[in-house]
Amino acid sequence: MDFEYTEDQERFRQELREWLRENLPDGWQAGERPGTDDPEENVEFLLDWQRTLNDGGWAGLHWPEEYGGADASLLEQVIYNQETARVDAPARINAVGIDFVGPTLMELGTDEQKERFLPKIISGEELWCQGYSEPDAGSDLASLSLSAERNGDEFLLNGQKVWTSYAHVADWCFLLTRTDDSGPKHHGITVFLVDMDQEGIQTEPIHQITDETDFNEVFFDDAVAREEHIVGEIDEGWEVAMTLSAFEHSMSDVFSIEQRWRSLVEFCQEHERDGTPLAEHTHVRRELARLHTRIQAGKLTHYRNVSKQMETGVPGPEGSMDKVFNNQTEKKLENFARRLLGANNALWTDGPDDGQWVTDLLMPYGKMIAGGTKDVQRNIIAERVLGLPKDD
Amino acid sequence: MDFRINDEQRQMRETAQEFFEDREVLERARERIDGEDVVDDLWDDLSEMDYPALTVPLEHGGLGDDVLYLSLLLEEAGRVALPAPLPETLAFGAFVLDELGSDAQKEQFLPAIADGDQRLSFALYESGQESLPRDIQLAATPTDDGYRLDGTKTLVPFGEQVDTIVVAARTGSGTGMDGVSLFLVDAERVDSEPQDTLDRTRPAAKLHFDDFEIGENALLGTEGEAGPTLQKAMDRYTVATCAMTVGAASRAVEMSSDYGSQREQFDKPIGQFQAVKHRIADMWMATQAARSLTYYAAWALENDEPDAARAVSEAKLFCSEQLTQVFADDIHNHGGMGFTSEHDGHIYFKQAKAWETFLGTPTEHLDRIADSHEL
Ligand SMILES: Cc1cc2nc3c(=O)[nH]c(=O)nc-3n(C[C@H](O)[C@H](O)[C@H](O)COP(=O)(O)OP(=O)(O)OC[C@H]3O[C@@H](n4cnc5c(N)ncnc54)[C@H](O)[C@@H]3O)c2cc1C
Repeated sequence: MDFEYTEDQERFRQELREWLRENLPDGWQAGERPGTDDPEENVEFLLDWQRTLNDGGWAGLHWPEEYGGADASLLEQVIYNQETARVDAPARINAVGIDFVGPTLMELGTDEQKERFLPKIISGEELWCQGYSEPDAGSDLASLSLSAERNGDEFLLNGQKVWTSYAHVADWCFLLTRTDDSGPKHHGITVFLVDMDQEGIQTEPIHQITDETDFNEVFFDDAVAREEHIVGEIDEGWEVAMTLSAFEHSMSDVFSIEQRWRSLVEFCQEHERDGTPLAEHTHVRRELARLHTRIQAGKLTHYRNVSKQMETGVPGPEGSMDKVFNNQTEKKLENFARRLLGANNALWTDGPDDGQWVTDLLMPYGKMIAGGTKDVQRNIIAERVLGLPKDD
Repeated sequence: MDFRINDEQRQMRETAQEFFEDREVLERARERIDGEDVVDDLWDDLSEMDYPALTVPLEHGGLGDDVLYLSLLLEEAGRVALPAPLPETLAFGAFVLDELGSDAQKEQFLPAIADGDQRLSFALYESGQESLPRDIQLAATPTDDGYRLDGTKTLVPFGEQVDTIVVAARTGSGTGMDGVSLFLVDAERVDSEPQDTLDRTRPAAKLHFDDFEIGENALLGTEGEAGPTLQKAMDRYTVATCAMTVGAASRAVEMSSDYGSQREQFDKPIGQFQAVKHRIADMWMATQAARSLTYYAAWALENDEPDAARAVSEAKLFCSEQLTQVFADDIHNHGGMGFTSEHDGHIYFKQAKAWETFLGTPTEHLDRIADSHEL
């Protein structure tokens, strides 16, 4: 066990730091956040950032070189996450494509699919969304019913998806469909790569509690999917979907939570209550200390999970802990932050950072639901790690 | 950076686990709870495995292993509530001897510790109600050929089961670490009385010093300057207790998981009820988190990292605040059975509660963490 980074890893960090210093958007370091008022402008801005990342060779960090990636080790990815959190780098708008769809195609896609899709994922030319949840299939995802029926060498899609993040700007969708409903629910699911730019697909934005509209309802009315865009075998899509969620669960928010803690400390040093800096109030000091302890615990546990993954090659169910534990930390942190505002906690866009603090408060409540709720994650831990009996 | 346990460490742990099971150490913890004297025999067993030699430096006949290695062993020891002063002897005793001891003192004690012929403990608290180091007021007055100790010490772990006690006394004035000296005292000579402890696997003693004469060679290091080493020794001991608590917590998670699969109510295993199932998942997460903090603290101490003190306080804080809940939940998961002395849960719960405030309350650790961030 050794917590020291090697020289090579430190060199990697320095290189990335320097690159970020030179390439972060103008004014970013000084706190400017372009496009936050206008969703369309924001998408353009994030697409720009994605291209910048790709030009610098950072977009497909964990992708193999043959697909234009940097073939980075897991630890280099950890360093990447640390460093981008440190400067609060812009979000990666094509995370679905790069982190989930790309790796899944590399593992399960046909040669044609890899050739057709991977280059445009990494370049940011094509944005992706993930079409899983339906109105009647959420936690019980396998009960999904959006139908795909064969029509020559095409398939006709009918039904509805919901909560589909970025569907309104996505070019392609990684879509779970029902091709056979005669057997058990895990059988008869088929994954299609579906072109979002067609008449049979309508997206309706959904107004979120953050006042943003990042997720959508997506309606399919005789939309068309092509046979060569099936991932894996027909009717065997459940395995494919599970491959993808393993990648999803191996990410961690802990570094951005740590960064948020640091900025909160600064806030406490710069702001006073009753004539004394907040950072000198006993209860504030103690709560900051307690939060740091949890962040540290989450971070070190993440390192342990990553170390284990280096050995086994696949992310394990431990990723569920990463998610649940850090999500709790984030909620505690944000709720504490609100209290520091005193009565001004009642303000939204007239509050700090033009309302960013409100987004920060609310987002963790969404993350607790997205990608498998905390209840579902606890089931995963209890059943797969601890061997407790499955739910009925 | 690599957070894996290496093959040697893994092997050592497996061996330890088998050994502790083979020697029925948990049974002996129960005998200890019933007031039997188990330490002598148990120490012979531990010495057979060279465990008392673990962190004694190579040049003094030990194995020269580090705090992290010791923590991994103690994690296994914690699973069976090892009722022996291994943390006291190694994390505290051998450490202060190695840091402050003269050549003669080292020669006298360290090889004997490694051979299993010397067990050590420490005497810090006096009222037990004040924080350290304020609670160290026992007077050490210089005499012609040494010192005279006057005062009372309380909460000395295994005070009546060890050979030598490191006694903290004041050779200066004040309430801080300045002016604190450490003395090696032969336990047999001391007037002691046993104390009934919440965690009966770990007895404690009260020591009375009344015109108690000791020679110059009892002093460790320079008079009045033991403070910094004492702090480090307390940190090491704290990490050692965290390691035992983490081991205990993983056993609690196992007991709850097993019971959750076996015990049936309403025609199904209770582990199928999510109130139980999710509680156990939470217990597991807390244990994992505490383990991560403890390993890091051990590593940071060994490598004198700038954030070592903070890392220790974070491990201790988390164990105090979160793992006590793990043990409480284990009791709850076992229903009426959980409230019996037959179920092992209470052994761990009491140990964790007893350690919760020992060498620093959670609040004091919070303040130390805050200080380390210069808040
Ligand atoms: C911000 C955000 C972004 C999202 N992005 C996407 C996306 O891009 N693509 C996509 O497909 N989906 C997306 N989702 C949807 C998300 O995956 C689902 O909301 C989630 O899986 C839960 O499904 P549901 O909403 O139907 O809730 P339900 O499954 O109806 O759950 C309701 C409540 O019941 C609990 N519950 C359900 N089953 C169990 C059980 N077995 N045991 C215990 N408790 C249970 C849940 O934990 C929850 O508290 C997103 C959601 C959010 C909030």
